[in-house]
Amino acid sequence: MTQVESGNYFAGVDIGSTMTKVVILGEGKEFCLIGPTGPEHRKMANRVMEEALRSASISLEDLTYIIATGYGRINVPFADRQVTEITCHAKGMARLIPSARTVIDIGGQDSKGIRLENGKVIDFVMNDKCAAGTGRFLEIIADALGVPLTKLGELSLSAEKPASISNTCTVFAEQEVISQLAAGESIPNLVAGIHQAAATRIHAMVSKLKFERDVAVTGGGAKNQGLVKALEAKFGFSLLIPGEPLVTGALGAALIGKEMCARAARKGVTLARKPRQLSEASFCC
Amino acid sequence: MTYALGIDAGSSFVKAAVFGEGKLRSYSILPSGGNYAQAARKAAEAALERAGLSFNDITNTAATGWGAAAVDFARRTAAEISCHGAGVFYLFPSARTAVDIGGQFSRAIRLDDQGRATHFVQNEKCAAGSGRFLQVIARILHMKVEDIGELSLKSANPVKFTTGCAVFAESEAVSRIAEGASPADILAGIHKAMAAKIVNLILRLGISEDCVVTGGGAKDMGLVRTLENELGVKVLVPEEPRISAALGAALLESQPCI
Repeated sequence: MTQVESGNYFAGVDIGSTMTKVVILGEGKEFCLIGPTGPEHRKMANRVMEEALRSASISLEDLTYIIATGYGRINVPFADRQVTEITCHAKGMARLIPSARTVIDIGGQDSKGIRLENGKVIDFVMNDKCAAGTGRFLEIIADALGVPLTKLGELSLSAEKPASISNTCTVFAEQEVISQLAAGESIPNLVAGIHQAAATRIHAMVSKLKFERDVAVTGGGAKNQGLVKALEAKFGFSLLIPGEPLVTGALGAALIGKEMCARAARKGVTLARKPRQLSEASFCC
Repeated sequence: MTYALGIDAGSSFVKAAVFGEGKLRSYSILPSGGNYAQAARKAAEAALERAGLSFNDITNTAATGWGAAAVDFARRTAAEISCHGAGVFYLFPSARTAVDIGGQFSRAIRLDDQGRATHFVQNEKCAAGSGRFLQVIARILHMKVEDIGELSLKSANPVKFTTGCAVFAESEAVSRIAEGASPADILAGIHKAMAAKIVNLILRLGISEDCVVTGGGAKDMGLVRTLENELGVKVLVPEEPRISAALGAALLESQPCI
């Protein structure tokens, strides 16, 4: 283990179920990189990190502190520390949209509602038990309709009358979509119906929190304008979306790392760091 | 002689049963496909042919199940719970708990000593404890649903699934297969995950013996054995577990109206 002295680069690595995100905070600059997670978390964390380092024109040794977050956060051997994605999302959102008091994160395999104050989490709700209302739900339906996931939002905007689809179970919704398609329902109407089903589910979950405005949306789901529109209809007001909603958690992780180092420096202590190597660590350490 | 016809239009299969002279005369089971009315008519014709009868011999027809309303030749539709209860009680007069594991739903019904359904609980919100779960897993293992049970019984080391959700379990199964888990261990793990959901349902109702399991899920011996282990109670399975509701519908139609 080497010791932290001073430095100017902080990295956040967010290994989600579907996408791996890296943010490097430099002197007045931010670098983001996003790649698919795939089954081999460690390899992917290394690859996305390498690319992020390249775009920042620095090497791994230049990183003062590295924080990993997300579902695969234990699979980042070069991370100095792990922080939960809920804390990181709150921190990242406080930077991106300072007026946000509630964050809805629609991820690949879960969805969450987070209440925050001054960038700190004060309450949260989470669904990781059931695929309904998560990115997986949209992925499965897109597959069943033979439509790319990234086209769902645009398609749904041309719907005339959203189809009625069950919001309870992805497996049942898939079957409903297939039989309604066979009965002649249009793809835009089905996609809009799916967005309504997902929005109903997410709204019900977030309503368990005493949520306050502004409400911001992050995660892959925030990139789907049809889903956001359906959510806005449920909430009855506009939702705020950061420029790149995927990197909120990784940005938060990098910011937390920076704050930890600053705090440590004030107290005159040094933080322990992991060896700066992108090797594939084995499971036995 | 009067005969009654019962049709159970389920989400996966349509079942027809002919009841007359105090007993089950014949039955047939056909995939539902996209058209319940058509599948029901074909199933009825097949059952009648097996009994050496025609539609003219039938005094009353009742339809039950998910697609009951589409069965245009039925005199009336009957509640699934009563039909299941009546059918199970006819097959096993000792039955006090009837568990049905269907294509989309699973349910548990309490029967009194007359075979009347007094209480029931069902899961219609989620595929977790239903036959759809088995179909999803069979698809990723490239095998037939009917072969699942036998293979699962060979498992020495069931995979532990962290989820009850069929969608998440599918991704989990894919990861475990990639890590080298055997299909038998995957299936045994899936049976445990399903059984946990079904046992929860049964315990909400409270179990009283004898416990009878019906529906397509009851044909999966791996699932039935796992249920028995988790429940700690011996479970009875009819010779053809899928026809209990159709049989019950026919049975209720053949009894004089009160």
